[in-house]
Amino acid sequence: MTAAWRRLGRSPWLFAGPAVAAAVAFVWLPMVATFGLSFIDWSMLRQEATWRGITHYSGTLANPDFHLALGNTAIYLAALLPLQIGVPLALAFALVRVRAGLPGRIYRTALFAPSVLSFPIAAVVWLWMFNPTVGVLNTLLGHVGFAPQRWLTDPDLAIWGVIAVAFWKSFGFNLLIFLAALANVPADVTEAARIDGAGPFRQAIDIELPLISPALFFAIVTTVIIVLDEIVGAVDVLTEGGPFRMSSNLLYFLYERGFRHFQFGEAAAVAVLIAAMVAAVTWAQFRFGERHVHYD
Amino acid sequence: MAGQIALHVAFVLACVATLFPLAWMLRTAFAAPGDIFHATLSLWPDDPTLGNFAKAFRLHPVAIWFVNSLVVAGAITLGKLAIALPASFAFGVMTFRGRDVAFGLVVGTMTVPYVITLLPTYVTVVGAGLYDTLAGVIIPTIGHCGFVVFFLRQAFKALPRELFEAARIDGAGPWRQLLTIALPNIWGAVAAMAVLSFLGAWNLYLWPHLILDATEHKTLSIGLKLFATTGEQGGEWGPLMATALLAAVPVVALYLLAQRQIVSAFVTSGVR
Repeated sequence: MTAAWRRLGRSPWLFAGPAVAAAVAFVWLPMVATFGLSFIDWSMLRQEATWRGITHYSGTLANPDFHLALGNTAIYLAALLPLQIGVPLALAFALVRVRAGLPGRIYRTALFAPSVLSFPIAAVVWLWMFNPTVGVLNTLLGHVGFAPQRWLTDPDLAIWGVIAVAFWKSFGFNLLIFLAALANVPADVTEAARIDGAGPFRQAIDIELPLISPALFFAIVTTVIIVLDEIVGAVDVLTEGGPFRMSSNLLYFLYERGFRHFQFGEAAAVAVLIAAMVAAVTWAQFRFGERHVHYD
Repeated sequence: MAGQIALHVAFVLACVATLFPLAWMLRTAFAAPGDIFHATLSLWPDDPTLGNFAKAFRLHPVAIWFVNSLVVAGAITLGKLAIALPASFAFGVMTFRGRDVAFGLVVGTMTVPYVITLLPTYVTVVGAGLYDTLAGVIIPTIGHCGFVVFFLRQAFKALPRELFEAARIDGAGPWRQLLTIALPNIWGAVAAMAVLSFLGAWNLYLWPHLILDATEHKTLSIGLKLFATTGEQGGEWGPLMATALLAAVPVVALYLLAQRQIVSAFVTSGVR
């Protein structure tokens, strides 16, 4: 082996190069290309581009279906943010107060279990429970004296069905984040508060909550990403965005424009809009988080 | 003490509510057709049967979907580790010009929402003739390895420098240092990333849904959707739940076996 070959074999770029190339090829270049695509019409057949200026953006912003998807996305966020933060937070505060070790671990294992499933698996399991004629939810309702519901085919209820599934499938993740943050709260801090006569609720709200606020901000961001980026697996299996687009969201709208109607330019414009929203929230987390979060 | 009892009661109720949908899937997967179509709240099927699995395999190529899922998840996991291990070693242990820029390029991908890469990657995959192939699903997904690199670099950085100094004096090149010295010391971190990548890849939905077309090319996740929306509507709930169970078993088993690794990886992704 010549010295040049040996030097090449030891080059750090031989180590780092493939990962850098993959990141550029499958993330950074596509990101730039999506931006470019949003200004043109691209024909897959003729491999040909036509300049369209900002018409995809203006068209999208004027599209009533987009308005519906945007409004539904707001509903998803308004429902899932309090649920995905509040419930895991209450569970985490309670779980660190369970003194027995083994039951505590069993509770954590059970509560996190749905979070390892995928959205489509969670969705078919619930699709069956939502079944209007023989689904177990209507059986349960019947037992307590309520009329059966059509759930996913009821335009007013469908979006809440998707929200229920998304919550069930992902609250465990935030629970883990909060538990890890609470584990880092020094015991002497809560101990001091206890000696000062603070009850468990006062300790949780006044002492622990401010100390774990970075985890809260992170949980907000993950919830936004779930709604904007991941929930599509549940929407597609449960309702296909229906009935009458009443449970559609921005990503499902993108999927329809891009891959049902093959309007890639329009779909790219929607992708840019979604990415801008995610970026705004992430940026707000950094800025707001840094100023208002107690790290020590 | 009364407080502790109240806590346990509340948690048992919360766990029952959380696990109920899974228990109901399990019940339906093993229930006979007649048992499925009458309103019941009993969690134990009247006459447990494996018939739903047999029927699922007759209705759809479920075994092929399962193998496809294994191939996709396995290849993505191996691929991510194959490029992330040397890269994170370089970023964590070696010093070279452009390192920080390169590291930023790789780890910065974590902040890019996945939707914005979707359309051009689709056009590229179709153009490369990889539409409706597992390779078309696998190759672009391997590129999303920013978190794996981030996590493994932390593990490499935590190793004492003297370890590598001694090896260097013995004449070990960087590849030998990586494979024989660094790697055996970070197996825990590698296992955590392997499990996390496998779970993520097993659960992929939108991307394989866009790329895979022929029924026998699908993975379980998207096969489930096909199963749920074709055939006799309102009919095959038993076989569908049997298929959902097959899709859930590997990830739940992996979760129970590697709970500590999964939790540590998830939590690190949370406090990054």
